[in-house]
Amino acid sequence: MLIRIFVIILLISAALPSGAQDSIPKGFTPLFNGKDLSGWHISRTSHQGTTPDCRAENGMIVVKEHPYGQGGILLSNKKYKSFELYVEVKVDSFCNSGIFLRSTESGQAYQIELAEPGGTGALLGEMLRVSKGAEATERMKVWKPNDWNSFRIRMTGDTPHITLRINGVQMWDVTEPVNDFIAGATEGMIGLQAHWSATYEPNVAEFDMSGSWRPGGAQRFRHIAIKELK
Amino acid sequence: MKLKLNSIIAACSILLSACLLHAQDSTFTNSIGMEFKLIQPGSFVMGSFQPPYPKPPDDTVKAGAHPGGERGYSAAEYKQAEELAKKDALPGFTVNIKKPFYIGKFEVTQAQWKKVMGANPSVFQGDKVPDDAADHPVESVTWEDAKQFINKLNGMEKGKTYRLPSEFEWEYAARAGATSDIPWAQIRKTAQIGTRTTNKVGQKQPNAWGLYDMLGNVWEWVQDYYNEKIFADPTPAKTGKVHVLKGASFVGDVKNATYKTHAAGPGNGWDIGFRVVMEATK
Repeated sequence: MLIRIFVIILLISAALPSGAQDSIPKGFTPLFNGKDLSGWHISRTSHQGTTPDCRAENGMIVVKEHPYGQGGILLSNKKYKSFELYVEVKVDSFCNSGIFLRSTESGQAYQIELAEPGGTGALLGEMLRVSKGAEATERMKVWKPNDWNSFRIRMTGDTPHITLRINGVQMWDVTEPVNDFIAGATEGMIGLQAHWSATYEPNVAEFDMSGSWRPGGAQRFRHIAIKELK
Repeated sequence: MKLKLNSIIAACSILLSACLLHAQDSTFTNSIGMEFKLIQPGSFVMGSFQPPYPKPPDDTVKAGAHPGGERGYSAAEYKQAEELAKKDALPGFTVNIKKPFYIGKFEVTQAQWKKVMGANPSVFQGDKVPDDAADHPVESVTWEDAKQFINKLNGMEKGKTYRLPSEFEWEYAARAGATSDIPWAQIRKTAQIGTRTTNKVGQKQPNAWGLYDMLGNVWEWVQDYYNEKIFADPTPAKTGKVHVLKGASFVGDVKNATYKTHAAGPGNGWDIGFRVVMEATK
């Protein structure tokens, strides 16, 4: 029986695409204990919203809007400068989200976009004018739609040098010409975003934002872990 | 003797009327140049939440096509949006401002902070700003720092009572009579948003009651504890871990630089300041 299980495990391992992973890589420290949101807090000054529904559920962090139209950002309590971040994400369609890097308390950050259909894997800024962006043009070669995909992000330097790998394959490698943080920060929090999609009242907005978050949609993150680099 | 008493009473009443008149002046400038505007009592509805929700486009419905194609939403999802928006809506509550009060025409500046406190904690000074930082708002101040400034100011200005605004007072003054939240075009005219540093106070249009930078530039501390909810409660929280911030900052945008946004500390630090209220009557 034991041998049979062993063989099955071997077969499953062999079936995984090379480079892809479904567990925390060696040498990384979990940022999420799988049970509760210890070590995380919600930004109270994000323009996305201040009351998102963030919860630990079945080994995942699930992020939703709350109340309707109000998003928000879940931030790590600890700040990081040079690191490799590993996270698996199940991207829900029509739910604009992102992984924030070196985030400030209000969520000003370099951002890896999570948007399906759309620009998942792009390097953007959240309330930050990023000098040099990037797009994950080769992503669809390794992407598993409606499934878990791993993101491995390396960020180092006073002037940010950022590399993204999705499912083990490098998408881009960017060195910014300057540090774009206006107050000069060279470290910050890891953040998980739920985009806002409605104002507090009708008739104040100049365009419709309701496409930013599918009603009842959720983003799911698991196996979140970090390796601090010198 | 009687004459003398009458004279004293007369003198006192003149003095009293002078004081009252003075207290009701529509503006006041204190000894360190802080300018205040008198805000009259009144009421407004606060905490109403009526989020707009998407509706299936008419033409797709008429054509009998799959509604929601343009957003990728199914008919069921449009229905869910409506249900969620209606379920989460809040009617708001009436706030009565019973007493007049003076509120800072501007956010407390770095120059004013230095006059009272000596050292200037602000990040955006010197070569970090393109102009003279003296008239930029002070930032990198905690709620406790703001209270300390006010305590010292009260010590310097005998006969005056300074304090932080309550959240109700702050929003009443920011709205300046507006019953609905502020439209985006109006935010852009009055609020310092999307800039790379703090900005000199008073550079954008004032609101209807002559107050500058209520929205944008720096977040402003108010007296109240944060209730961990989207908006304030009708009865302000008596305890809490952090205090409420209002008005958003230069890192904000049209989404949160509105009258309603109910945020809380600690925030970024370098975009957190305050303005001061002075009691209208002693």
